[in-house]
Amino acid sequence: MVEIIGVWCAVLLTLSIFSYLYGDNPFYKAAEHIFVGVSAGYIFTITFWDTIWPNLFGRLFPTIVQAGFDFDASYIFPLILGVFMLFRLSKKYDWLSRISIAYIVGMMAGLKFYVFLNSNLLTQIKSSAINLSGSYLSIINEFIVLVGVISGLVYFFFSKEHTGAVGKVSRIGVYFLMIKFGASFGFAVMGRISLLIGRFEELIEYSSFKYYYSTPAILVLMIIVLTYWSIKNTNINENN
Amino acid sequence: MELLNKIFIKLGQLDRRFIFILIGLSVLIPLLRPDWINIPIKTTSNSRIVFEELNSLKSGDKVLLSFEYGASTKPEIHPMSVAVLQHLFSKGIKVYTVPLWPEGLMMAKFAIEEVVSSNLFKVKEHIDYVSLPYKAGGEIIIRGIATDLRSIFTQDINNTLLSEIPMMNGVNNISDFDFVFDLSAGVPGNAEWVQFACDEYNIPLSSGCTSIMVTDAIPYVESGQIRGILAGMPGAAEYEQIVFEYLNKNRNNKYLNEKVSILPGKATSRMSAQSIAHLLMVVFIIFGNISYYLTRRDK
Repeated sequence: MVEIIGVWCAVLLTLSIFSYLYGDNPFYKAAEHIFVGVSAGYIFTITFWDTIWPNLFGRLFPTIVQAGFDFDASYIFPLILGVFMLFRLSKKYDWLSRISIAYIVGMMAGLKFYVFLNSNLLTQIKSSAINLSGSYLSIINEFIVLVGVISGLVYFFFSKEHTGAVGKVSRIGVYFLMIKFGASFGFAVMGRISLLIGRFEELIEYSSFKYYYSTPAILVLMIIVLTYWSIKNTNINENN
Repeated sequence: MELLNKIFIKLGQLDRRFIFILIGLSVLIPLLRPDWINIPIKTTSNSRIVFEELNSLKSGDKVLLSFEYGASTKPEIHPMSVAVLQHLFSKGIKVYTVPLWPEGLMMAKFAIEEVVSSNLFKVKEHIDYVSLPYKAGGEIIIRGIATDLRSIFTQDINNTLLSEIPMMNGVNNISDFDFVFDLSAGVPGNAEWVQFACDEYNIPLSSGCTSIMVTDAIPYVESGQIRGILAGMPGAAEYEQIVFEYLNKNRNNKYLNEKVSILPGKATSRMSAQSIAHLLMVVFIIFGNISYYLTRRDK
């Protein structure tokens, strides 16, 4: 029975979101609000019980939490920084939250600086070099990549006006960027269609007798309600 | 010619809801009637590289499987998760799942349940696979796994202490794994695994990701920082097909249950719908451009 209720909820929420294709309506709004609320609740609960409770309180109160950690007094500092973050809700003491944010920004900047330099800059520069010992095809391929990298970088070089030779190279960079955007668009379309297929597949599955014909039943119900809502709205607008 | 011009201009003014209906039908019909349209799947080199990388692992090797996707991207990534798990279990490889997204916890659970409940593989929890819980922090957790896994994880999802799980013996950081496979739909995802763990500690990494992420991940693939990539639903379908053929060829493998039949994956059946929808999109783009050109010319 629980599964059937779950299936009916899933179908109702899916069709409610799809109903936005017709226009903004109460079904869509309700589904959107439920999604935001459920997501926030889920993330909060799972973060508290899977991270804060075992990893923080488990070290400060190991005998109570019993998460397998030993007592570690240094974890009082993350607790204080976490409490400071909550002061964002207070107008008087919200400056305390800036201390926590400063810690996060500083720590992440330091960490990101090194990994980005190593993985995205040095390794990528190395891999854009041409290996002359390879086959003709691979040399041509690597040459195209090198031209793309240089012309793309020239396009984003704003200290010199894009005229003459610089303008021509930057123009080539624009073509490479356009190819990249085209590929990204194609992949984005592919991704969205995949998600649509996923939803349709489940809606088809839930149309069976096993699930008490949930998809057609809810679809008909929604069409009736939306038609009534649409007529009612038209009448109100005409009267106004 | 004049009539044709008028038709194209009219098509350009078509209500977008008709386009939605046509796209919907192009997806719905192949799903309802899969026997009507059957488009063959061709394996790309990136999917083949992923297979060969995982296939080169030996029985008893340790693979960390990272789940960074949720319900919204499940149709693209989940078939990959199942196919990768099938491949790993069929070789007797030890699997360690770790979710870095809150929903990843459920996705990992569903994928494991699907593969284990098929009874095709002779696998047992804590002997062949272990599921680690979700920890908030994204990149920081990846960094933590790279340096000291035990400082973050002390229990699995069933609250069993890691010290009591036999397959966790000697697993303390990223260097204790033989391979990392990342299933990602955003951030943290494959880029973070490259940057915060695998590049620095020289651990081989492959990835399966959503279509939208592919263009950003390709530079890592070209440079060898990621070894092959499964790109969206087509990547999942290709991998399913390769694994399906592999399992059928290795039917007498000691890790497989001979009495259970091998079934093809879900992504393969979805590819016809995907191809038809893409063809329709291409037609729309061509018609839209002709209509735009004619409208502009008349002005």
